[in-house]
Amino acid sequence: MSQSRTSVEHVPTHLTGKGWAQTRHPTSTSASSAFQPTSATSRSLAGSRDALCLWLPTFELRLELVRSPELDRTSVALLSEGEHAVRTVWQVSERAFEAGVRPGQRVSQAVSLCPALTLLEPDPAHYDAAMDILLETLTEVSPVLEPAGRGRVFLGMDGLDRLFGPPERQIERAFDALFGIFPSPLVAAFRAGMAPGRFGAWVAATCAGRGEPVIVSESELAVFLGRCPVRVLQVDTRMIERLERLGIDSLAQLRKLPEPALVAQFGESGRDVHAWASGRRIDPVRPWHKPRPLRASLAFSDPVGMVDTLHGALHRLVERALARPARRGRSVTGARLGAHLEGGGSWVVETTLREPTTVRERIAAPLRAKMALSPPPRAVETLFFEITDFGAPSAQKNLFDRKDAGGRASAGSGPLQGDVPPSLRDAVKELKLRLGDSPLYRVVELDPWSRIPERRHALLRFDP
Amino acid sequence: MPRRPQLKPLGQPKPVHVRTDDRGDPEFVRLPGKTARKVLQIRERWRIDDEWWRRPISRAYYAIVLDDGRVLTLYHDLLEEAWYVQKE
Repeated sequence: MSQSRTSVEHVPTHLTGKGWAQTRHPTSTSASSAFQPTSATSRSLAGSRDALCLWLPTFELRLELVRSPELDRTSVALLSEGEHAVRTVWQVSERAFEAGVRPGQRVSQAVSLCPALTLLEPDPAHYDAAMDILLETLTEVSPVLEPAGRGRVFLGMDGLDRLFGPPERQIERAFDALFGIFPSPLVAAFRAGMAPGRFGAWVAATCAGRGEPVIVSESELAVFLGRCPVRVLQVDTRMIERLERLGIDSLAQLRKLPEPALVAQFGESGRDVHAWASGRRIDPVRPWHKPRPLRASLAFSDPVGMVDTLHGALHRLVERALARPARRGRSVTGARLGAHLEGGGSWVVETTLREPTTVRERIAAPLRAKMALSPPPRAVETLFFEITDFGAPSAQKNLFDRKDAGGRASAGSGPLQGDVPPSLRDAVKELKLRLGDSPLYRVVELDPWSRIPERRHALLRFDP
Repeated sequence: MPRRPQLKPLGQPKPVHVRTDDRGDPEFVRLPGKTARKVLQIRERWRIDDEWWRRPISRAYYAIVLDDGRVLTLYHDLLEEAWYVQKE
């Protein structure tokens, strides 16, 4: 069984020693999110106890090198994604690492350390597409999949021994599936760790080498974890640094501490790390449901760099996406705006809305703000808008439906007295109770053909 | 609590401040409580003269586009020499 090695970055990987390193990126799913404490309700949900973690460190940079193999022999660094006033290095290749370039450095620092450094703009749409393919392919191995950021996925392996054989064969089966979609050097760079629970599998994957998966049985788990450094914990780096300053370097030392003392120092995280370090807590892999985004796109006949034009296009795209039948009845809580850029590459900004809405401006405004902070680096060939998260379905969608027909449109007029749907009648009753009077009105025709506009229609109080 | 009225008119004109050019066409429009906006385009114009037999009505209507993209329907009451907005 491989031993964990110390790492220079907060991603606990021995790969940093080989010159591959990355900063944890704010826009990608946080690694710690995979180990968030689960509530009592979610604990009761079914999941797979046996977990296989497949992890490709510096996933994004490796994808770039697959796309441009000629860069493999040069010093390469991938620039950070997202809205940053100062561009920094996100991931660096082995040669760049040897030259002293480190993730998180400013571009000017990196170039002064390594003048031959090739800087690459990130292409988030390409990385997301590759991750989607990865997940799609791995569903052939296990139906229980849980992604944890780009380049890392947990597979639930409960019961698969009857289908594929022992754990070694199960891991081989997963790699066979990967060989079908990715080039061999990329697949060979994947790390595989199998253990009870996601935390054990993740730690096992960080200890694994190329073609050397680490498999930990339940009886070995506590001993295995005890040998690992505290840096394998997926918690706030400040907590790790505090533990190390206190001389607590391994999980074995950590679990000797009384749990109340850890809770007193670190709150709920203290309880979590004690449970993980001692192997008491086994977080099952939970089946992941990917919401299918609603997408609208606009291809420009000529690449566009004008911000005003992009804003106008964004508004049109939001309107088009909101008008889709698949969206109706659902509010929007998350959206993404992206672009395919002139000369290749892509650009993406995402937003999570403060409250669910279907108002175009409320959706577009935060995306415009993000675009101002992080504008597309080059002219845009195609702009796309995706609704990525939906709010609760509206409970009022049938409020004005007729009892006998499919709504006002099919009936040709509004609800009539004596023909009021029960939902509307209840709503009026509730409003009257609350306000003392019905605030609803019906539009009635007075003189629809009048040349004087204000004489054509009026509002009549609606009180069924 | 005052009882709400049974019938409320729709599309009532509201007074608006308008500065006109030499030809009498609206050039700047200031809606109540808002800052003045320049009229970018007059999309359509028409005139209504009616009810001469009781209380005469004489209005010159303009469908305009403001510089913030809003589309309004204004009219100039030719008898009162006042401007109104009828549709925002």
